[in-house]
Amino acid sequence: MSNITWVTGRPRLAGRVRYVVLAIVAIPWVVLPFWILLVNSFKTESEASTPSVWLPQHWAVLDNFGTVITQGQYFTGLRNSLLVAIPVVLGVLILGSMAAWTFARTSSRWLRGAYYVMALSIVLPPAIVPTVVLLTRAGLTGSELGYILALLGTRVGVIVFLTTGYIRALPIDFEEAAQIDGANRWQVYWHIILPLLRPILFTAAIMTVINVWNDFLFALYMIKGAANATLPLTLYNFANAGQYGVRWNLVFAHVILTSLPLLIAYIVLQKRILSGLTEGGVTG
Amino acid sequence: MTLTKADESLPAGAARDDRSHRRAALKAAGPRGSARRRRTGGRKTYRLWFALPAIALVAFFFAIPFVANGILSFTKWTGFSSVIRFTGFDNFTSLMSLGILGHATLVTVLFALITMVVQNVVGLSLAKALQHTDRVNSVFRSLFFIPVLISPLAAGYIWAAILAPNGPLNGFISLFVPGFDFSWLGQPSSALLLVGFIDGWKWSGLVTLVYIAGLNSINRSVVEAAVLDGASGWRRFRSIEFPLLAPAFTFNTVLTLVGSFSALDVIFATTKGGPGDATSVLNVAVFNQYGQGLFGTSSALSFMIALLVMITAVPLIWWLRRREVHA
Repeated sequence: MSNITWVTGRPRLAGRVRYVVLAIVAIPWVVLPFWILLVNSFKTESEASTPSVWLPQHWAVLDNFGTVITQGQYFTGLRNSLLVAIPVVLGVLILGSMAAWTFARTSSRWLRGAYYVMALSIVLPPAIVPTVVLLTRAGLTGSELGYILALLGTRVGVIVFLTTGYIRALPIDFEEAAQIDGANRWQVYWHIILPLLRPILFTAAIMTVINVWNDFLFALYMIKGAANATLPLTLYNFANAGQYGVRWNLVFAHVILTSLPLLIAYIVLQKRILSGLTEGGVTG
Repeated sequence: MTLTKADESLPAGAARDDRSHRRAALKAAGPRGSARRRRTGGRKTYRLWFALPAIALVAFFFAIPFVANGILSFTKWTGFSSVIRFTGFDNFTSLMSLGILGHATLVTVLFALITMVVQNVVGLSLAKALQHTDRVNSVFRSLFFIPVLISPLAAGYIWAAILAPNGPLNGFISLFVPGFDFSWLGQPSSALLLVGFIDGWKWSGLVTLVYIAGLNSINRSVVEAAVLDGASGWRRFRSIEFPLLAPAFTFNTVLTLVGSFSALDVIFATTKGGPGDATSVLNVAVFNQYGQGLFGTSSALSFMIALLVMITAVPLIWWLRRREVHA
């Protein structure tokens, strides 16, 4: 602390001013938008048709959230989102780090090539229309399975890229020692590699969870029918169901419920998430 | 075990020297080294197996569709006939004459530029303000990160309400300009600017964290030397910190550009491409063509996004990397 004041060369008062300025920025940037989201989700439809920052005159909390749960198919969406997010996140972390181990230790030109394709898959946009056709031909369209496979194929590249660099920086000695002690390849991966990768995989997991939980583009093309819809898709369908424009009270109630699982996870884990992202490998 | 013993009896530096000597000796031992390599050659097949699931997934759900998309861009392919035939550049010329291709490309580039400017200006300023880790800064960091968590769709709905003609923003402006009811998302110029802003708003919390990581990886002694030399705060930032932030800048710029070239969510939640086609980015046009069963032209537009990424991101990475300095 004393070091910092020495470097900036300013008294403590400047620090106070800085916090006030930050608060002045944070209020319209973050606090007000979420406040507007919250209060308008408590209002009646007619009152919310003029969205404002004021508290509701008539509270309709139970009505709104009840409507979202029944007509908005919230629990169907939640179940489908979990059904997609859990296998995709676990899948990309495990399959990605397994592949990264190979890529980090190989000298094969073919595997190098495969690694570059994976790195390209991070930057290049996914070709959705052919993917949908491919899934249709394979009889996987409309359901969660095809969607899960498409997400796995387009999201595993980031994990491979981040973890390969990380493993390259690890000494090979641990693996060799375990192998000499008689561990098979799977045991070496599970007991040596995976624990060493924990910090980078935690960072990668945060980004993948946010990305997969909020995915709308793929879901729009690949999921058919309300019974299969994930939360972003149920939100979109629900928002467009109103005959007379957007019913802000209901849309906002749905937005809150849709974002709630990630927000709860964030409140519980925020310290680790933020330090994971600032100290983790995002900067590459 | 023997090593710890050596550590006890010898100074630590000596033990380290001994180990590095051994490694050098191993490298120098030609025949033994090649025998070792042959043995590891046997391991490789098994290691290949470890990479196979990921390779197969990327091949089937990224690489093959991507190549197929490039080829299908040059075919007449619709949902009404099972025949796909090559038509050369017909898709592109017809999309051009319909005014879709050129317009959507321009809108996409503008959208991406707006998003990039918002994210980098906001992200860098916040990172500068919140660089040092203390309790108050941690609270602000976690506050500014919240928009990253919500879906772009949700961000779109929140801002669509704020910017509505009878919404809170106009309500606030009406305090000073009575009866102000500008339709922010209903006017072509402000609509594009604002959807870009919303996308930038949603992601700037993450960009901030990347810049904080970048700022904190700068060697303190360089900054302190500048202080001793009498450099002002702004001068220190411009001449030292900003050039040294180049890797973080490369990462943020490329990722936001690439991400916003294929954006769709925010626009679907706010303007759906309108008013008119003012916010019809390429991905909205792809969806519209797909919805009409025109898979060929849809692929051509999707191919255009890939081209945009290739002609901007690749030279950009090369150029930005060259500018990077290390200290």
